[in-house]
Amino acid sequence: MSTTDTYEPSIAQSKGELLDSGEREYMLDVRTQDMEVNMGPQHPATHGVMRVLIRCDGELVTGAQPHLGYLHRCAEKIGENVEWLQYLPYTDRYDYLAAMNNNLGYSMAVEALMGIEIPRRAMMLRTICAELNRIGSHLIAIGTYGLDIGAITPFLYMFREREWMMALFEKICGARLTYSYIRIGGVFNDAPPGWLSEVEAFCDTFEVKWKEYYDLLMQNHIFVQRTANIGVISREMALDFGLTGPMLRGSNIDWDLRRDTPYELYDEIWKDKAFEIPLASGEKGTLGDTWDRAWVRVMEMMESIKIVRWCLDKVEPGPIIAEIPKTLRIPPGEAYVGIENPRGELGHYVVSDGGKIAVRCRVRGPSFANLAVLEELMPGTLLADAIAIIGSTDIVVGETDR
Amino acid sequence: MGLLEKQFEENVLTTKVDWLLNWCRLSSIWPMTFGLACCAIEMMAVGCAHHDIDRFGAGAFRASPRQADLMIVAGTVNFKMAERIKRLYDQMPSPKYAIAMGACATGGGPYYKYGYTVVKGVDRVIPVDVYIAGCPPRPEALLEGLMKLQEKIQASSVIRKPLRTA
Amino acid sequence: MDFQVIYDRIRSIKAPGVIGCDEPREPNPEDKKDKGRFGDSFVLVEPERLPEFLECVRDDALLKFELMADLSATDPSKDDENLWINVQLLSLTHKHRLAVKCFLPKANPVMPTSAPVHRGAQWAERECGEMYGITFEGHPDPRNILLPEDWIGAPMRKDYEYPEEYHGISCK
Repeated sequence: MSTTDTYEPSIAQSKGELLDSGEREYMLDVRTQDMEVNMGPQHPATHGVMRVLIRCDGELVTGAQPHLGYLHRCAEKIGENVEWLQYLPYTDRYDYLAAMNNNLGYSMAVEALMGIEIPRRAMMLRTICAELNRIGSHLIAIGTYGLDIGAITPFLYMFREREWMMALFEKICGARLTYSYIRIGGVFNDAPPGWLSEVEAFCDTFEVKWKEYYDLLMQNHIFVQRTANIGVISREMALDFGLTGPMLRGSNIDWDLRRDTPYELYDEIWKDKAFEIPLASGEKGTLGDTWDRAWVRVMEMMESIKIVRWCLDKVEPGPIIAEIPKTLRIPPGEAYVGIENPRGELGHYVVSDGGKIAVRCRVRGPSFANLAVLEELMPGTLLADAIAIIGSTDIVVGETDR
Repeated sequence: MGLLEKQFEENVLTTKVDWLLNWCRLSSIWPMTFGLACCAIEMMAVGCAHHDIDRFGAGAFRASPRQADLMIVAGTVNFKMAERIKRLYDQMPSPKYAIAMGACATGGGPYYKYGYTVVKGVDRVIPVDVYIAGCPPRPEALLEGLMKLQEKIQASSVIRKPLRTA
Repeated sequence: MDFQVIYDRIRSIKAPGVIGCDEPREPNPEDKKDKGRFGDSFVLVEPERLPEFLECVRDDALLKFELMADLSATDPSKDDENLWINVQLLSLTHKHRLAVKCFLPKANPVMPTSAPVHRGAQWAERECGEMYGITFEGHPDPRNILLPEDWIGAPMRKDYEYPEEYHGISCK
């Protein structure tokens, strides 16, 4: 990857300008070799084990190549060897920051093949948990983004809220991180008494704290200077690479699977005008830069709170899981269901031949497609900006590698 | 450490020096940022204010292995990653410790049976001092693992066989 | 747009390589072995013409499938002589989806690359190729992406045998 084989500096002196101090400024033309820097699998600023080979000329990045596979856990092969319900814990573990959404995607793909109807209370609980998890995932996205840039305080504040959210989830399903709560046919455990009012208390406090984050991080002059005008994604680039989620909405492309291909209760929620889709507008710099994407994530947290409040208003007692047999035999066929993960479109493509075990369980991870854009975005930026660009893609390596 | 290995009998002076050295070591174990997968999020939660790891003296997470004492392998270990783990472990200066956090690092975890690229336990690659079970283990479990490691360090001695050679 | 409407449009603009389509059907009450087929409908395309087909449906004004969500492969069973290539397309302007399937013979798993049409296919094809042993002709960068560089075998095939050891680390 080096540009010169033999090192021959050619020094040409041009007639220098006369500066105010009386000195003369000379321009030297010295050729140097590009340096290959390995932003290795173990690095404090890559979001997990990912390796980026950066070729840079001084501080300027001239080429970047992401290397994946350091967390490849063969999830798709496992899907072909274990039963339908046994695969559910594995779905938690690819995007471990938004585990509820992964469970939801897989359950919906299998339910599309079964053709069953989910009880309303189950759908309400599913939506509440998925949106709360979206808030949790965006909290970490913004918190670690600030940490990469150098702002350590928002990271600690974000984890404070996240601890509260994880305590809520622990009450309902027993786990803090990998829930396996949303199962095929509904959810497996009803909300314990008092849980719904605790969720409401969380929403009330979170709205106050959200304003804190917005002022502390997003409007911070240093943060804006570090993140505006870099990593600009145009509309053509976004569609060509197959980007989805906040990557699209940060470039003012109006696409959200919850509104455009609605699933579960989202068409009702949209009709009641309970939430909006935040679209970036290039407020602090160019449209489609990293600040815009961070802004979209921060605004989406507020929209998730609105969705949770709508569900809390309308939830009623009822059954929480559909009538399904203990050993599932899914009818033959294939189905693809894509849902809106905090990172983009999480798609599950499930093929069945009528048996207990899937024939194919393909997972389309949004971070995999979102990461490919690094090869185009990073050349031409400074090394410090390259870190900011990696952070703005908000990847989770469990999802890129599966 | 084994500096004075088998040269003297244990006496009052060496046990006091032992106690002081071990207390210094166990009160400031500096971990390396080595979160691989989901367990890394629980490790980050341990580092934050709610379950504070800094009160154990282990709050300074160093990015470079050359400045760290402890490698908390949090997450699944791959064949591709195993070679890098070995290299990072070799780069750490003695005395160094390793904690295998979570089911994946302990014995392959849920990917044990059908994962073709998963190493069934990080102890096939590096020597491990403490194993913590859980998927992912609660932050309190990680703190207990750290306390067990501190007990292990407490039991080491200047004149006995060293805890870990390079 | 409904699948039938999309399929009629594909037929009318004479998109290259279309073989047919497959829609879900109810089980046949007379044949006890036929359990029917549920789920999604898809369009069957010849693998050699897949990039041209994708370009055609991307540029047509009424279809406008600009975003390729997924390109993956399936090994249906050990006895089946074909691999399936499955492409999921998404249209942002018209808000519809399309599933495209190709049958690729296992004896000769070679097909042209769709990377010039959708840049996002580049990495998806790398993954597909290493997992199933498929060669995508004309691919700019056909290295292994998720597996180590010197991995032997195509792991996602149904007849794959797990390795005994790798670089001195035992696999048992």
